[in-house]
Amino acid sequence: MLQHKDGSVQNHQHGWEPYVDNGGTSLAIAGEDFCVIASDTRQSEGYSINTRFDPKIHKITDKIMLATTGYSADAKRLTEVIKMQTERYFYKHEKNMESHAAAQMLSVILYQKRFFPYYVFPILAGIDNEGKGCVYSYDPVGNMERVTFQVYGSASGMIQPFLDSQVGFKNQQNVDKTRLLTKEEAISIAVDSFTAATERDIYTGDYLEIYIVDANGIHREQKPLKFD
Amino acid sequence: MSLDKVLKYTSASKTNPYAFDDDENFLKRDVTDNISHFDFKFAPVLKPAEFAKSHIDVKSQKDSLIKLAHGTTTLAFKFKNGVIVATDSRATSGNVIASQTVKKVIEINPYLLGTMAGGAADCSYWERELGRRCRLHELANKERISVAAASKLLTNMVYSYKGMGLSMGTMISGWDKKGPGLYYVDSEGQRIKGNLFSVGSGSTFAYGVLDTSYRYDMETDEAIELGRRAIYHATHRDAMSGGYVRLYHIKKEGWEFIGLEDVEDLYYKYNNQE
Amino acid sequence: MDKSILAEIVGDSNTGFKFDNALRNESLTSNGTGAPKATKTGTTIVGLIFKDGVVLGADTRATAGSIVADKNCAKIHYITPNIYCCGAGTAADTEFTTNIISSNLALHQMNSGREPRVATAMTFLKQYLFRYQGHVSAALVLGGVDSTGPHLYTVYPHGSTDKLPFVTMGSGSLAAMATFESKFKPNMERQEAIDLVQEAIESGIFNDLGSGSNVDVCVITKGKVDYLRNYAKPNERISKLKSYKFARGTTGILKESIHKFDIVVESDAMDVV
Repeated sequence: MLQHKDGSVQNHQHGWEPYVDNGGTSLAIAGEDFCVIASDTRQSEGYSINTRFDPKIHKITDKIMLATTGYSADAKRLTEVIKMQTERYFYKHEKNMESHAAAQMLSVILYQKRFFPYYVFPILAGIDNEGKGCVYSYDPVGNMERVTFQVYGSASGMIQPFLDSQVGFKNQQNVDKTRLLTKEEAISIAVDSFTAATERDIYTGDYLEIYIVDANGIHREQKPLKFD
Repeated sequence: MSLDKVLKYTSASKTNPYAFDDDENFLKRDVTDNISHFDFKFAPVLKPAEFAKSHIDVKSQKDSLIKLAHGTTTLAFKFKNGVIVATDSRATSGNVIASQTVKKVIEINPYLLGTMAGGAADCSYWERELGRRCRLHELANKERISVAAASKLLTNMVYSYKGMGLSMGTMISGWDKKGPGLYYVDSEGQRIKGNLFSVGSGSTFAYGVLDTSYRYDMETDEAIELGRRAIYHATHRDAMSGGYVRLYHIKKEGWEFIGLEDVEDLYYKYNNQE
Repeated sequence: MDKSILAEIVGDSNTGFKFDNALRNESLTSNGTGAPKATKTGTTIVGLIFKDGVVLGADTRATAGSIVADKNCAKIHYITPNIYCCGAGTAADTEFTTNIISSNLALHQMNSGREPRVATAMTFLKQYLFRYQGHVSAALVLGGVDSTGPHLYTVYPHGSTDKLPFVTMGSGSLAAMATFESKFKPNMERQEAIDLVQEAIESGIFNDLGSGSNVDVCVITKGKVDYLRNYAKPNERISKLKSYKFARGTTGILKESIHKFDIVVESDAMDVV
């Protein structure tokens, strides 16, 4: 704190910067009875790659996955907290948490840090209690919305408009805008989103992880992206 | 979290590890000193509220990493057959449209509605908490809470966080013993009773339409159409508003959802009427 | 110093340093009108001296912030038939700086009747860059072979220079230098030198986010230049899984009006067959 000659006090906040953007991109697309969650695995800081393989998607229950972007350390802590809470719920109630309950819980967990937020953009995705594909998207302090598709991260500016067009059928006439994608379509669009984003976003690359959640459980695929 | 915890004030020196006793150090104190519970986590710095305000961008005014989604045009007005509540559905964060499908009317319970403007998470969290507290009131008093009391609960809750960067501009509306009720409540601690309000960056445009045609003795259809037109025109001129017009009508029996209409469809509808 | 006093002492002269534009830009920035975002070559550029001459190398990524602006740009610039120059920094600055020095050396050659020397190019560059006090953002690797043999320099944006047997520049310079430091040896064979340059550039491409795409190489020997554009392409794009063609009718028609034009053919005296 600086005291000036006239007695006024200049308030010097600490130069404490607890947040870093670690880049990367995550997306989720909900289908009729499935959900596709995809994310690259590059973890970077500035012009350096910290690691080429740092998965940003985590299993929460047999039906729910959490995809993150933003500050990796916060994302990992947030994932731990949610896993801990869903596990406690399981042992207390002897059943898995339903996705709508987990979604609301995540919102509250984020809001509890309203004044010192997690620098994370979470997407909770999976199968809801009716067996339908579901995607919940959040801002860093817990504003929640159920959507049919969402992308967050360094390439979101490139991919979100693409999904608006190819999944949401926006700005098109003579098309059925309520149509939901087939599993194969959703996977292809997710893969093409990432191969395209890798071309133009320096923070997206290395490997692509894809999770498909449906009645049969969770299926994982991995593909290499470009390393440059 | 319970109300007494939220609202309890204790002397700063007893609870706050950073408390100072001389005048010189008074300025080092933080607004958080007044909050005695630890449900919310704070940054481990001398002035946690200052940290929150400088690192979180609620209204696209700062260049900070954490940008929150915020809502934009909302309105509510009383008329002879109840209250009309209408909102747009766009959320922006920084310079991007975060969503075009936000539900900015919060259904607190079957006869109380709240609207969302300012920080989206602030509105939805505190109005959900308000819903819980209204239910406790019902169980304790065996009758529904009045709109006046409900809105005051909300004001008191957010007032205890004043100066910490909450951003909320909401209209609490409903029907109670006294008939239709409408209050404007914001995160600065204001609570105003009134017949007509509009909140958000598109509110000036909405007021323009509302003030031109508003009459207390409107028919219901007329009132709904006024709400629709006011939101539509706000979305037309305000870049931070858009998406869908969401309409509610509050009657004696509680609120009724009127509909959700794409503003693009309304554009062609109104253009073709000329 | 007061402007008028200065004028009295040195006369109202137009020579010397002028920083009016730097001051103007600073005041514009403080008023909230920042300069438009320039394309930067986040770049890995290298050079080394081998038995018969000089090998220069560069990646081909140009960035604007975190976006790749050009996936295959050429960063090895022509100076004279026997001198080439790799550029890192602001793309426009490296492009124009090398162009200006190239022109000046051409004039110099006609004036002196001698083949330009690498040292002359280096001197021109450093004098030019020093004049702008680092505001011309060009970090260069200059290489060539002249009557006195092979030469390799780095030129920094403020005008300082180094003369070394192997050099690297740009955001990928550390990654590339790591390769050179472990594997460089004097008097290498041509192919050995090219391979090492390729390896250095690739370590920049893969480990530095500002560098990417392909490897450009330029081999300069006595009386001969081999500009090996896209010498290696280690980052080819894989094909898309799906076609994104829109069906006919996806763009709606709001209104339709068809105009019939009368076609009039006119000619005048100038249109002689």
